[in-house]
Amino acid sequence: MRKFTWIVLLWLPIMGFSQGSIGSLTGDESIFYAQTKQVNQFFLRFNGEEDIQGKRFYPGNQGYRDLKARKSYLNILFDNSSAVIGSDVKFVFIDDALNKKNPAFLDFYAKGWFAEVTATFTYKKEKVNLILYLKIEKQSNGYKWVISNVYFDRFESWFTHLSDTSNLKYFIHPMSHELDFMNLHKAFKETENLDFYLERDYVPDMTALFVMEMKNGNLDFVAVNNVKFHIFQVPNWYFEVSYFNRNSVNSGWLISNVLRVNEKEKEDLMQHYTHVN
Amino acid sequence: MRKLLSLIIMACLFAVSNRVAAQDNLSPQRKQAIDSLALEKVRDLSKYISIIGDKKTPWSDAQRVIERAVELFMENSEIGVSSLGKQDVNYYKIREYFDRLMQLNYDKVTIDWYKIQYVSDLVRQPDGTYVGVITIYQRFQAYDKEKGLVYEDTTKKDITVYVKRKETQIGGRLIGFWDVMLGDIRVKETSK
Repeated sequence: MRKFTWIVLLWLPIMGFSQGSIGSLTGDESIFYAQTKQVNQFFLRFNGEEDIQGKRFYPGNQGYRDLKARKSYLNILFDNSSAVIGSDVKFVFIDDALNKKNPAFLDFYAKGWFAEVTATFTYKKEKVNLILYLKIEKQSNGYKWVISNVYFDRFESWFTHLSDTSNLKYFIHPMSHELDFMNLHKAFKETENLDFYLERDYVPDMTALFVMEMKNGNLDFVAVNNVKFHIFQVPNWYFEVSYFNRNSVNSGWLISNVLRVNEKEKEDLMQHYTHVN
Repeated sequence: MRKLLSLIIMACLFAVSNRVAAQDNLSPQRKQAIDSLALEKVRDLSKYISIIGDKKTPWSDAQRVIERAVELFMENSEIGVSSLGKQDVNYYKIREYFDRLMQLNYDKVTIDWYKIQYVSDLVRQPDGTYVGVITIYQRFQAYDKEKGLVYEDTTKKDITVYVKRKETQIGGRLIGFWDVMLGDIRVKETSK
């Protein structure tokens, strides 16, 4: 079946394209046809909601979410060069996702997926990399991407002493209240040690720091370097989708990592990636 | 011929939009009609890019075509360009991009478009405008009089398409229609 899919994909330029064409260049386009060109197309191929020529299937159309077609699609949605995705894991994932009784589908509008954007900024005129986490949010009758979290190692370096219980030097003594906390000024003198004085379980809000530094003019956006997506919508599985820019039919938006995880592990992974407080 | 086709599609859209004006979601039929209109704009854009890049196009003609090309876009649209060797993306205003294309320092430039295209779903924004992306592929070749072909690349162009419901008065009657405008474009050099 897989062989058949490849053969069909490779012959597509000769078969023509259903929606008319932009240009007239008759080069070998088989790579472009096979390539998963958009994240939108990744979702549609995963769900079996478009045919092999890219024509959209709607509910009621013949072939809509057809399990056999989906099996072919799922096979080509993996990064075949990946050393981290074993063929056995891939096989079990496809088997689970296409479970006859309860097949899994991806939903653009639902929770359980987010984008990870690596971007270059200048921080106080120095070039730095930040990671922005974005998710889809509904507003009125429409949708938008919103920043749900930020990771910047510089921000994290401000909190390296958090929950350091071995420290016997930097603390506000327990009778300070009797002196109207007049000793606070000593704590605030050495700002590099300020985080010793915070409660043990404090979790810094990186997004708030990001907004503050942007508004103060210390951080300036330069460009986006890389985008990938983390998807948790298949029961008991997590997978990552990245863009592969290469001269191959196995290119475009593809699964770059997949892990079998239970719901608790999913929560932990979400927390790990998004740094949700 | 293309203008006639556009008018027919617009007329169809008038008819379809009148019948289901109150409906929020786009039906597959309406989506297809809007896709055709959007593809028509993208086809115009690709034609304009080829003319602007062509060294045989006189400067004044190129300027006129740049004006026409800019009219296809929403205000403040940008083009983000990246190449294989560089990690960063360079962002250009639409007009600046066309000006740079016109001023490329080669003796001859050919710009061709692959037949393939891919049209995404349309997703509604909070302001009610629908947004989608059309992906097309371009081959660029630059020649030097003495050295021949000196530069060649194939780029993937992901073009934002905005679809907005508008109204116009024809013969005293308010007629609703769907207006299509182009937005930001992401240009990625594809692997050689």
